[in-house]
Amino acid sequence: MSKKIGVYICSCGGNISDYVDVEKVKAAIETEENVAFSKTAMFACSDASQKEMEKDIQENNLDDVIVASCSPKLHLTTFRAVTVRAGLNKFSYYHANIREQVSWAHSDDKSGATENAIHVVKAAIAKMRHAKPLDPIIIRSKKAVAVIGAGVSGMRAAIGLAKMECEVYLIERNHFIGGHTAQWEELFPSEETGRDIITRLYQELLRYKNIKLYTGARIVENSGHIGNFILKVKIDPLFVHENPDISEVEKAIAVCPVTVPDAFNFNLTERKAIYRNHPGEFPERTVVDVQHCTRCGECIKVCKSIDFSKEETSLELQVGSILFATGFDPYTPGENEFGYGQIPNVITLPQFMRLIALNDKRLIVNGKDIKKIAYIYCVGSRQPDGDLKYCSRYCCTAAIHASIRARKKYQNISNFHFTRGVRTYGKQEVYYNESLRAGDVFLQSFDHELPVVYEKENRTFVKINDILTEQKELVLEADLVVLVTSMVPRTDQSTASLFKLPKGRDNFLKEVHMKLRPVETVIDGITIAGTCQGPMNITESVSSSLSAAVKAYSYVSKGEIELEPIVASINKNICTWCNACYEACPFDAINKVDEISKSYAVINNSICKGCGMCLPVCPYDAIELITYSNREIEEMIDMLSKD
Amino acid sequence: MHEARSEVEFDALVVGGGIAGCEAALNIANNGYTVLLVEKDLSIGGKMILLSKVFPTLDCGACITTPKVSEIARHTRITILTGSEVGSISESDNHRFKAGIVKHPRYVVDEDCTGCQLCEEACPVNVSDQYQFHLVGRKAAYIPFSIASPRIAAIDMENCTLCGACEKVCPTKCIDFTQEEEHWTVSVKTVVIATGFELFDPLGMPRYGFGLYKNVITSMQMERQLAPTRPFHTVLRPGDGKMPDRIAYVLCTGSRDTSVGNPICSQICCMYSIKQAQLLMGALPMADVTIYYIDIRAFGKGFNEFYEQALGMGVNFVKGKIGKIIEKDNGNLLLRYEDVSTGKLHEAEHDLVVLSVGVLPNKSMQSVFQDLSLLEDTYHFIKQDDPILNPARTSIEGVFVAGTATGPMDIPDSILSAGTASAEAISHIIQSQ
Repeated sequence: MSKKIGVYICSCGGNISDYVDVEKVKAAIETEENVAFSKTAMFACSDASQKEMEKDIQENNLDDVIVASCSPKLHLTTFRAVTVRAGLNKFSYYHANIREQVSWAHSDDKSGATENAIHVVKAAIAKMRHAKPLDPIIIRSKKAVAVIGAGVSGMRAAIGLAKMECEVYLIERNHFIGGHTAQWEELFPSEETGRDIITRLYQELLRYKNIKLYTGARIVENSGHIGNFILKVKIDPLFVHENPDISEVEKAIAVCPVTVPDAFNFNLTERKAIYRNHPGEFPERTVVDVQHCTRCGECIKVCKSIDFSKEETSLELQVGSILFATGFDPYTPGENEFGYGQIPNVITLPQFMRLIALNDKRLIVNGKDIKKIAYIYCVGSRQPDGDLKYCSRYCCTAAIHASIRARKKYQNISNFHFTRGVRTYGKQEVYYNESLRAGDVFLQSFDHELPVVYEKENRTFVKINDILTEQKELVLEADLVVLVTSMVPRTDQSTASLFKLPKGRDNFLKEVHMKLRPVETVIDGITIAGTCQGPMNITESVSSSLSAAVKAYSYVSKGEIELEPIVASINKNICTWCNACYEACPFDAINKVDEISKSYAVINNSICKGCGMCLPVCPYDAIELITYSNREIEEMIDMLSKD
Repeated sequence: MHEARSEVEFDALVVGGGIAGCEAALNIANNGYTVLLVEKDLSIGGKMILLSKVFPTLDCGACITTPKVSEIARHTRITILTGSEVGSISESDNHRFKAGIVKHPRYVVDEDCTGCQLCEEACPVNVSDQYQFHLVGRKAAYIPFSIASPRIAAIDMENCTLCGACEKVCPTKCIDFTQEEEHWTVSVKTVVIATGFELFDPLGMPRYGFGLYKNVITSMQMERQLAPTRPFHTVLRPGDGKMPDRIAYVLCTGSRDTSVGNPICSQICCMYSIKQAQLLMGALPMADVTIYYIDIRAFGKGFNEFYEQALGMGVNFVKGKIGKIIEKDNGNLLLRYEDVSTGKLHEAEHDLVVLSVGVLPNKSMQSVFQDLSLLEDTYHFIKQDDPILNPARTSIEGVFVAGTATGPMDIPDSILSAGTASAEAISHIIQSQ
């Protein structure tokens, strides 16, 4: 019995038809063998077109459907659903990409693009002649989610998931949770302190029995797949008991001979190698910095609660989905970038924010009372070359907000903002207005001619060619220079690499599609939230973390998930277990089976992604990819290479 | 008037069927809960479905909206009421809300209309088309726009002459002039407000001459001229149908401007103007495009790179706010401004001016809540009760807000905000059980 294939050619409202003559494509393919029906559409994805398609399939008794349109990333599922509603198997559908791969790629050559589209559609028809109905693989999904990173995004996501009655494992590599938010004082727009925000979250976290918190914890191994990820977690030992005698601990800290810069205060202060949490960091406990501790033993002499014999522990977690909230690093300016590291009163915005927190009545830096503050914007953002081309979005408002607080907290502060155009978007504009009204001076440099910070006779100056005053060269003597630094991706990306999460051009973790699937990654079952995805402020991070939570919940809420049956399949009669496919598989989906007479390879269907890496390495051609068999691919190639 | 339908129960009521409302409804329904989506317009999809390509990726707005719209339209757990308004919401027993909904008559039997457009052809009445932002006309019997959902006809009773021409040609006899308002009362566990925003009406700024000078248009009118379902199939200036070759964008029209009562930044206008400029350079390769701005706010992921791309393509950016626009006899326009980089006053001539209008609150929810107080912020957007940690929460427990109902937002942020609102709504449903 000969198959009846229906073919639709979409104009994509001009995206395709501006370059590809869709009517010509239709005319060229309608006489192909097995093509029983063909049509063009303005927007094949529109509701009305979909309805028509259902009717066409039923009225013409079509067996298979091809829509030549955009990338399958956009509408493969849309049209599969159409075929299902029309009573067909969803694998009776094939998506031919004539937009990204044809019309957009060849917008300079209309007749060539049309020819190309004809070939692509004919190849699709050649493939569909062999298409068979398939059933999806259904796997059980554990109603548990691992949240990696316990900053504000991870904590909020964990609470969101717990409220939806999921088991949550909150995994933090540091001994304290709260992330960068714990370091901040008052924040826009509510003027709540970062410390209070984290305290509120921590107290709420404790109320949910279905949240398990692991601190000092690293994921070292990952196996499994959506629905059932198996994570091996290593947990650093705590050398100090959870409920020690506080006075003894204080003595231990006092006698510790090792001092190191305190990262919580961005190295403005120092701490010992044994130290307690800062307010706003949780759990409240004492920890030993193993990197710097010399094991001199002084602390043990004065404190019974310290025990260096404790060892690393490890545990295994099984979860249905993983939510990444691993955050950002503040940009560290290069040596002598705007005088940083060379001129002592040049600091970064995060340092400035800690400085305001640490100085109560007077703002003093290096013994000097600070009056005139220069803020240099876009340090580590909007660079013409290199990786830092992006705008960090939070910094304009954060700098203005910090300058307003400095003005309110200390007397006689004058703020001078050296900007590249102020980007206080949305309601944040009111802070810009407030600071203008209070008399702050805003200057703006050209993108190609940035301000210069220099030192002369122990005095610090900032020079700018100011757009806003008829391009005059202005020089300001500043008591303090604050570099408004950007957010950059974490230097340590080891966990993301373990899960093979892709990065974008900006090196932040990448979502599938900014608007259609903004918190999902290409690895099924793994979502991303907060600043590991790109710069955002805290409200925006929380918004993204709850979006990721609801998506993660949808992977696990039903207890089972449908997976694509497009997987590799090994013919055990031909296979000799040479190991080649096992070595080539990037997902560890191939296992060895030993029988008395022979050994051979089998595919784990729930791990296999159907990537096809194992096929070309097999010396005996024992592997086929379901829906992309050698025969199908060869016939497609024949069709594509025909004149 | 029809009798009130007996009380129907849903888990969630989503008010507004734009992109945020659609996303929230889908998230809630996909996790097993029932949703009633109420949209005042004749189609769901909001403003986004009418857009051309969207920044910064330049995929077409319709390509992203239509799959969501169509998924919703067919979802077994989502009920959609278009042409309907939520008249009242009050608290009822067992932690539920009771909502009164009015479904305005469409004068077409939804189930029977096939969208064949014969009524449209037959209708003798021409009026201005609100879905094309008044660039062209439509009939009094009409399908809102080609990718509307549902794609069925409606009769515009304000302009209909009751001539009966449509009734005669309708092959399914689905036109029914006797339809009346329907009143629904529903009981829900949670409410998500996704009522979106209003665009600033530049009639409020006479110095720009909108409404008086024919070649001064709004950015939404330009958007329609660039959309795949565009009315003219090219870009024309309305005054004389000439293809423009010196186009000006006036940023911050109705934003960052206390003189019109809106001090905040609308967050989207810089980017959509930059996007339109890029599209115009494709549509009219010989045209010059100039963007007059105060600051370029290209802050989101990929936005600054998109701005740099426009600079590279030759879009002309001038830092200076337009003070006044004057029309010349030939329909061209003189724009008076201070060029901030030189400090000098200038006058520039353009043949088409696009006003990049800002985002204003939609105040339609103000009077809906009875015995409950839905607070607004200073700018009359819906107030976020706990903006940092619970951005979707309002002043009423169990009522959440998604998208631009809380303030200006771009599409990616609206979608994230809808995710947040749906997470909160699902938690609320579970916790109240």
